[in-house]
Amino acid sequence: MRILLVEDDALLGDGLRAGLRQLGFQVDWVRDGEAAERELRAEPYAAAVLDLGLPKRDGLDVLAAVRRAGVTLPVLVLTARDAVPERIRGLDHGADDYVVKPVDLHELAARLRALVRRSHGRPQQCLAARDVVLDPAARSVRQAGLPVPLSTREFDLLHMLMLNAGRVLSREQLEQQLYSWGQEVESNAIEVHIHHLRRKLGSGLIQTVRGVGYMLASQQPES
Amino acid sequence: MTKRPHSLQSRLLALVLGVVVAVWLVTAAVTWRDVHHELDELLDSHLAQAAALLVVQQAGEIEDDDHAVDAPTLHRYAPKVAFQIFHAGRLALRSANAPATPMVADGERDHAGFKTGFKTVQIDGVAWRVFGAHGGERDIQVYVGEQEASRSSILLAVLRGTLAPMLLALPLLALAAWWAVYRGMAPLRQLGRTLAARQPHALQPVALADAPTEMTAMLAALNALFDRIGALMEAERRFTADAAHELRTPIAAIRAQAQVALAEADDARRRHALEATLAGCDRAARLVDQLLTLSRLEAGAAPAAAALDLGALVRKVAAELAPQALHKSQTVELDAADACTVQGDATLLSVLVRNLVDNAIRYSPRHATVRMAVVQRGGQVLLTVEDSGAGMSEADSRRLGERFFRVLGSDETGSGLGWSIVKRIAAASGAAIQVGRSSALGGLSVEVGWPLAR
Repeated sequence: MRILLVEDDALLGDGLRAGLRQLGFQVDWVRDGEAAERELRAEPYAAAVLDLGLPKRDGLDVLAAVRRAGVTLPVLVLTARDAVPERIRGLDHGADDYVVKPVDLHELAARLRALVRRSHGRPQQCLAARDVVLDPAARSVRQAGLPVPLSTREFDLLHMLMLNAGRVLSREQLEQQLYSWGQEVESNAIEVHIHHLRRKLGSGLIQTVRGVGYMLASQQPES
Repeated sequence: MTKRPHSLQSRLLALVLGVVVAVWLVTAAVTWRDVHHELDELLDSHLAQAAALLVVQQAGEIEDDDHAVDAPTLHRYAPKVAFQIFHAGRLALRSANAPATPMVADGERDHAGFKTGFKTVQIDGVAWRVFGAHGGERDIQVYVGEQEASRSSILLAVLRGTLAPMLLALPLLALAAWWAVYRGMAPLRQLGRTLAARQPHALQPVALADAPTEMTAMLAALNALFDRIGALMEAERRFTADAAHELRTPIAAIRAQAQVALAEADDARRRHALEATLAGCDRAARLVDQLLTLSRLEAGAAPAAAALDLGALVRKVAAELAPQALHKSQTVELDAADACTVQGDATLLSVLVRNLVDNAIRYSPRHATVRMAVVQRGGQVLLTVEDSGAGMSEADSRRLGERFFRVLGSDETGSGLGWSIVKRIAAASGAAIQVGRSSALGGLSVEVGWPLAR
């Protein structure tokens, strides 16, 4: 899952990026308000972690501006401003969650997972399709109750498809969600991962829509 | 035992009543004296008149020796008045209540054996006012007397007439005065109630409808006090919030890096996270130091002033900070003249110089030049710290020294407290600070001027 991290403090930004990566997120890190707005408008992130006291442009301004521009991705505000009016202001400016520093990395990750889940209209903790159950917190996949070992990319790819079950995702969309900056994407990477997933989970789960992309059918096809 | 506070109400009431009673007493005394005087004049003139009449009458008529004749009592007041007529030393006529002997004793008569004029005598234990007169050729001596008691009773009656209503009115007056004072003190009581009803932390000005002029000064002072306390509390609240904000970020960084280090399997990355954890600790510690310095300075601890060589002090600080500059490949230059002595506290002045130089190094890019100079000019010792960095906009340089103010877009991790500290120390040691653009290097130039110490 690809996350945008907006934090001007070098030490904290570095720590959050490393920590979230350990917990299975792809993290892009920007350090000022202007870059944050640019990224939020352009790049497809699953969620964003936004500091408020930013150089060049205040975080709340950025948030309000991108919300006005129709950006709907979940935004978690992570800030040192803890006064209740500030929290209210943050949430009213379009934040989906408001967390005061310092924060536990595991809690931050759990909150991000919850935000992503809800933004896809999935209140349950685990995602299920046919006999496949994916647990985003434990980063585990079971088929018919048995664990299926998946690589990080395979897991992320399956997670994306299950979150968007019933919708066709293009190869570009999947690439953007799976890879953060500076990561080399081989031209046929997605095809290779899909191939591996089909081998491990059976060929019926992920369907190819020729010339468009891939889709995960949530319903058992009528027979 | 605590002393009971005296009541303004009772005090005013006592004063008002005391003054009223005193005025009455003085009025009564003056009335007594005047009435006494007038009464004496009037009654004395009546006595004299009566005596003169008797003398004239006797001179014409009295020939016989019928001295036993008593004058009839004509009026019920008559017993208070008496007269005697002596003819050649013998009692010729007297009123019924007059003694047979002359009313004025022999010893009190004058050398001719006659008594003229007024005399107060005791007859049978009663005080009488007596007027003596004598008629020329017939050797007539007349005494007319009147009891003093009758005069006193008239006097008392007059005084009773004037004083009695006053005495009766006194309780009523006390009541009225109490009410008036009570009413007059209503704004004070209202103020008391208003203040008592306020929330303990309420600092809005006290508004009292129809406050009397005597109270406007007090109200204004009170409201000014509330304003000052409000501003102070607001500054403290902002400072606490800002300080918490500034401390939270390094603590969050320490926590995140420590968590990363705990979970990291890769040695190099764990080492990086641990180093970052330490760097975060250093930063938090530095921030705490700055906050403590600032709070001590604001608590108003007077710095101990001693004459010290500013050039030597700057050289020492520059030596401490030079490695930091070399790390960024910056050039550091120091030009310190001799005998630049200022009055100040060595520790505090070191803090000031360190903050200025540290800022110059921190906020200038790699390969920049940081130049320090200490010179004596026009009775002043001038310390100049300038750099070849980006400098600062006028708006930003005006905001310098606001706590936690940082120039946006600067990449460096500063707390924004350094300038607050510099300004405080400069103010405490009587120095003036000027911030501008360096003409030689193009970056920021800070000039601190102290009066030269001899």
